Amino acid sequence: MTYRTQFENELEELKLSLMKMGDLVIKNIHLSLNAFMEMDVTLANKIIQDDKFVNQLEYEIEKECMHIILKEQPVAKDLRLITAVLKMITDLERIGDHAADISKLTVFMEKNSKIFILKQVYKMAQYSEEMIRIALESFVNQDQEIALKVIDTDDIVDDYFNEVKKEVANAIRQNNIDADYALYLMMVTKYLERIGDHAVNIAEWVIFSIVGHHRK
Amino acid sequence: MVNNIFTISNLNLEYGSFQALKQISLNIENKKVTALIGPSGCGKTSFLRCLNRMNDLISDCKVSGDVLYHEENIYGKNYNVISLRTKVGMVFQKPNPFPMSIYENIAYGPKCQGLKNKNELNRIVEMSLKKSALWEEVKDRLKNSALSLSGGQQQRLCIARAIAMEPEVILMDEPTSALDPIATLKIEQLINDLKENYAIVIVTHSMQQAARISDNTAFFLMGELVEYDETDIIFSTPSNSKTEEYITGRFG
Repeated sequence: MTYRTQFENELEELKLSLMKMGDLVIKNIHLSLNAFMEMDVTLANKIIQDDKFVNQLEYEIEKECMHIILKEQPVAKDLRLITAVLKMITDLERIGDHAADISKLTVFMEKNSKIFILKQVYKMAQYSEEMIRIALESFVNQDQEIALKVIDTDDIVDDYFNEVKKEVANAIRQNNIDADYALYLMMVTKYLERIGDHAVNIAEWVIFSIVGHHRK
Repeated sequence: MVNNIFTISNLNLEYGSFQALKQISLNIENKKVTALIGPSGCGKTSFLRCLNRMNDLISDCKVSGDVLYHEENIYGKNYNVISLRTKVGMVFQKPNPFPMSIYENIAYGPKCQGLKNKNELNRIVEMSLKKSALWEEVKDRLKNSALSLSGGQQQRLCIARAIAMEPEVILMDEPTSALDPIATLKIEQLINDLKENYAIVIVTHSMQQAARISDNTAFFLMGELVEYDETDIIFSTPSNSKTEEYITGRFG
């Protein structure tokens, strides 16, 4: 039996808010890559605008955490959980920034650039989105095994990144790609690679919330 | 190197047929604050009272096991209990000044020990009141009744009274539970200052207080020592699920 029903409810709400923020950044990554690949400036501008909702959610979750700390003075697993949320939202906010960064590149690009499609770029986005989703689920379920899998998945994203580098370098040598487009494409993939790193950070905070220390 | 002032092993305490402490083994570090936490009736106060044999005064009370103070068993035959109690002072939940002047409250103990030299008594009174952070507030009214002091001041007076005996250990049984938040903070600050010179063992029901002021924390439950570790560890990553349930308030 517990006498902290209200506190438990607050923690559940906090988890829901975190998932909501996660869903929004995943959506933004997905759309930002589509906008880039399809040269959809209207969509790109919308994503840039929508980044403010991510920031707003970060601010609200921060406030929720402060409120819980103030009111409940959490210790042990509760303190670890709230600390982890405060850290994870920083990573989610950065991920949101990267989705906006990708969209800004789309806006800057020449309309008539010759699009150079690489399936590895889509794969990078797909894996990064999945990493964030699974990391947050592992947090809600407090499942260390799943969080560890997220960390391992980052190697796949990194491998795709290296493949893209090679492909773009080859395309440059063979004059198959616009110089500007090649630069933008590499920047986009670098953002995707960084998003993978942020997902790893999130997974590491999940593990912290469960075991109380960072993996070595 | 860890410097233990008390080494307790396999301590059992029974009040008649009720066993209040079961096989308690732990060490109290010198010049550190040790907090004892746990729900009411878990044995923490009984344990505290074992450290200066205050349970001797309770009929039907039976103690077994070893409580080594400076490596000597205080429950051994012919152990000098009076001398133990001068070295291991006690401060209670409710301030209990004697119904006499502030000065006499402090001087009473040394006088009982035969000290008559006025200058030496003055020195002890001033030193004790300074160490208990009360001197500035009462130095001009030492002859006033101690009962005229506020609750927080009275509690610091009781700490000064313990200090006057030049103890090594101060036991505190919920010393701030009857005080307002400011008086509580003053006592907590005092505890922090005092640990430079004394070992302090404190029973508290406030998790935040234990987390704020202690170096080590022991969690008692139904007469057993469930977990004993550094305070930071107890309040961040306790290893026993019962400890976690208790400190996070999920204990029924």
